[in-house]
Amino acid sequence: MNFQGIYDHLEAKDAPGLVGTEEPRPKDPEDKKDKGRFGDACVIVEAAQLPEFLELCRDDEALAFEVLADLCGVDPGKDDEENFWVVIQLLSVAQRHRFMIKTKVPKARPELPTSSTVYRAAQWHEREAGEMYGIVFTGHPDPRNILLPDDWEGFPLRKDYEFPKEYHGISCE
Amino acid sequence: MANDPNSSVRFHPEYRTLPGGEREYMMDVRTADLEINMGPQHPATHGVMKILIRTDGEVVTAAQPHLGFLHRCAEKIGESVDWMQYLPYTDRYDYLASMNNNLGYSMAVEKVLDIEIPRRATMLRMICAELNRIASHLVAFCTYGIDMGAFTPFLYCFREREWILLLFEKICGARLTYSYLRIGGVFNDAPPGWLKEVGHFCDVFEEKWKDYRDLLLLNHIFVKRTADVGVITRQQALDFALIGPMMRGSGIDFDLRRDIPYLLYGEAYEDGAYKIPVGKGEMGQVGDCWDRTWVRVNEMMESIAIVRWCLENIEEGPVMGEIGKVLKVPPGEAYVGIENPRGELGHYVISNGGKIAVRCRVRGPSFCNLAILEDIMPGTFLADAVAIIGATDVVIGETDR
Repeated sequence: MNFQGIYDHLEAKDAPGLVGTEEPRPKDPEDKKDKGRFGDACVIVEAAQLPEFLELCRDDEALAFEVLADLCGVDPGKDDEENFWVVIQLLSVAQRHRFMIKTKVPKARPELPTSSTVYRAAQWHEREAGEMYGIVFTGHPDPRNILLPDDWEGFPLRKDYEFPKEYHGISCE
Repeated sequence: MANDPNSSVRFHPEYRTLPGGEREYMMDVRTADLEINMGPQHPATHGVMKILIRTDGEVVTAAQPHLGFLHRCAEKIGESVDWMQYLPYTDRYDYLASMNNNLGYSMAVEKVLDIEIPRRATMLRMICAELNRIASHLVAFCTYGIDMGAFTPFLYCFREREWILLLFEKICGARLTYSYLRIGGVFNDAPPGWLKEVGHFCDVFEEKWKDYRDLLLLNHIFVKRTADVGVITRQQALDFALIGPMMRGSGIDFDLRRDIPYLLYGEAYEDGAYKIPVGKGEMGQVGDCWDRTWVRVNEMMESIAIVRWCLENIEEGPVMGEIGKVLKVPPGEAYVGIENPRGELGHYVISNGGKIAVRCRVRGPSFCNLAILEDIMPGTFLADAVAIIGATDVVIGETDR
């Protein structure tokens, strides 16, 4: 199925938390400032209902997204000053299609329920998003740092991150 | 006899009297779970990685990988340098499959750019990616032999790998970190006679490949060490997203090259150029270490078939698409997952129309494949731990990025 087919199917099933889509569109020739939007389409999902939404994607026979290929955090910077994004890539082995899901969590309180209860593969990706952005995945079974040392301060992939001057007496400059 | 609380040997005060009147004290050895740090420096971890193993005698009861020793902030660098400048960094996460890494990143940026790649460039990309897959699988296969105590295949495999590296040196000047596949096409055309030499390599490799199969893959000791060891079920492979050779080893017929085709892999498959080897459990169960190795060894032959198809169909033409000198990527986002030798390498890039990416996410296959150790190691023997880690075929540069 292509993106439109998957979206229509989700809408027909009354998928929980489905907010809208972001789709590629060409440049508007009338508006000089407009540059268009290219690449892949994605759906926007309410953060609080993400696990239910993923469960539907996994268990529905027509969608059959058995695999969570990727989960990552995003600091969109000037594109969206208010929110962090969590972007999920689903893959179906049986149906041979892909799907991108985007959720937005407020920077002031970056919290959303964990997806690792639905897809085991999300566990390590969520640990990485947690240490890099400070996003809290509630209900995560093992929320330790994965790539960074346990005592690392700050969240390196945030746009406002300041590089440390030293680490345990080792100069970083 | 007093009990020393610090000693692991404890004497019970009880005794029984033997027929001769002598006393025999009852002795008991207190057993406790033993924690072993496998790594960070251990030859079987194939890099700087630690696996914390808890054992009860010979049996592993828990295993916990600790990563990050080789973390080089690839994603942060991706947001700090411009689009073209990031390309050489992609070489460095899976340093055994740099051509494929270049390809994944280039394709993700090209998807946002929305440009056509010339046909000859696509063919050259496929030839390089497949040769690189062979080189990578040779290393995976032969170092696995070393883990299992077979040193000889290692030397033979490196002989053929050396030839591939020489071919790459001729086309781009580098042996490991190529940066040859660029955004928009490839860096330069193949030098005269290069394609003919690739054809010659294919002929020779086909003969050598039979030796590897007989020497190691079908070796009795090797089969005994790997068959029925570290079985990954179909469901586990899906849950842990082990897309790639690991998944095919577990009997799932799925290959991104065929099923979500990119470059000209779809066309090549329709021509009947290659097949997808899927583990059948010939020596033990489906999804054991031997099956995963079998898939890799057979994939080398399929790669040769794809290279042959490219050599037959390649045409003259330009090798670089139309892109400006300073690359400006329009706003948008794209995720591209390609079939790396170790699994799905995903690049997710976001652009806001500037010279620098907003986000450059890398989904390394080794990172995802490593997570399975937590699940399949408990219950196996400590001696099999090495076999399981080796068959996972992780490259630490990629797990840590």
